[in-house]
Amino acid sequence: MSFTAKSLLFAASLILLHAAYSTYEHMSQLKALGRPEDRLPLDIIIESILALATGIIGATLNSAELKEITWASEMKNRNIDEMDSRLGFANFNNKGKIFFASSNPQS
Amino acid sequence: MDLTSALQRLASYRAKQSRASADIVKDGELVLRKAGLTKLGDEEWAFLEQLALAALDTGKLDVADDITDGYAIQACLERLAAKFPESPRVDVLQGIRMEATESSETVIRYYNTLLEADESNIAAWKRKISVLKSSGDIKTAVQELSTLLDTFYTDVEGWLELGSIYSSCNQYTSALQCLSHAMILAPQNAFYILEAAETAYSAADIPLALKFYLRVVEMLDEPPTSGTTPSRPEGPTLRAWYGVKLCARDLLTSTPTASQSESQTTPPSEKHLRLLDELSTERILAAYSPSSSKAGEGPPLGRETVVKWLENTSSTS
Repeated sequence: MSFTAKSLLFAASLILLHAAYSTYEHMSQLKALGRPEDRLPLDIIIESILALATGIIGATLNSAELKEITWASEMKNRNIDEMDSRLGFANFNNKGKIFFASSNPQS
Repeated sequence: MDLTSALQRLASYRAKQSRASADIVKDGELVLRKAGLTKLGDEEWAFLEQLALAALDTGKLDVADDITDGYAIQACLERLAAKFPESPRVDVLQGIRMEATESSETVIRYYNTLLEADESNIAAWKRKISVLKSSGDIKTAVQELSTLLDTFYTDVEGWLELGSIYSSCNQYTSALQCLSHAMILAPQNAFYILEAAETAYSAADIPLALKFYLRVVEMLDEPPTSGTTPSRPEGPTLRAWYGVKLCARDLLTSTPTASQSESQTTPPSEKHLRLLDELSTERILAAYSPSSSKAGEGPPLGRETVVKWLENTSSTS
């Protein structure tokens, strides 16, 4: 799914860049011909709208996984040790240095 | 074990504030060994702080025969001090480092100097209270903690800590008062209500405990995922259903004087208690029923024990 989404986004940006370049070329051509007021040709307009549509689809598919909104569903993923951990008051002078010391073979 | 999964685990520990120190040290050493500090970017400092705290918790200071760990903790502190020279957070970290080796008077004096320099350094104040509590001076610790909570009312952690200290001294009414402040500050959190329920049960205030347990069940109730069968209770919901069962059994079998509640809570009528008894039995059995276990996991463990316990409690009522 993410491959199609990323390729859609990439394609949309390519199409948009192409439409932008075509507009620039067309405008410079009109300026050279002395008719700077003429409208853009229809196919460039259609191309940019197509780029917009493809970009919207790609961006929507590329978004992150939707998460549940209720508090109850969030509480299901927690346990009381996390909620009551009180890390600001934690006692660091504990038996941890004995439990987690690397074992030395005593002779 | 690869770098990205280690980094993800560490980030989730930071977000959930869990105290899984041994796992954090393992993952953190992996990150340092694989030179993953550059991958973290701005989170590098939070990671170093987390690793330093976890290493202090597991006692990996300057173990003589494990030089890498010793250098890791020193390197963390030095890097943090170099990046944030005047930061109160780093000062508190240095204080925690001192807690592991120095005497409690030295450490308390150090925290006092920090507090004189900056009155609003809550972290230093909390550490001072923690050192007072661990060195056995509970009275001063409770006084200081009460002053802190008078000044900073919204500190949920502080209210929980005060409640836990009172519970450890069997002063359950004071503990319930602290927990009620915590419940006001975090109204959506079912775990604090569960703690209050269990504290009330320990204080023999069964009707109040029943009320809190039912409140937890109500909060964590989820609509059924498919059809009309309710979803399987797990985690805090199951714990609350156990509480409801125990309270209902106690109220059904006890004499009227025994069901007097210190908080003047009226217990429900006997008909309602029987219905609650039935409902909680059914919900507990549903949690252990083989048909509702997830695919590929087999029947849940402990079902026979639970059934036997439920039969015993029903026969005495």
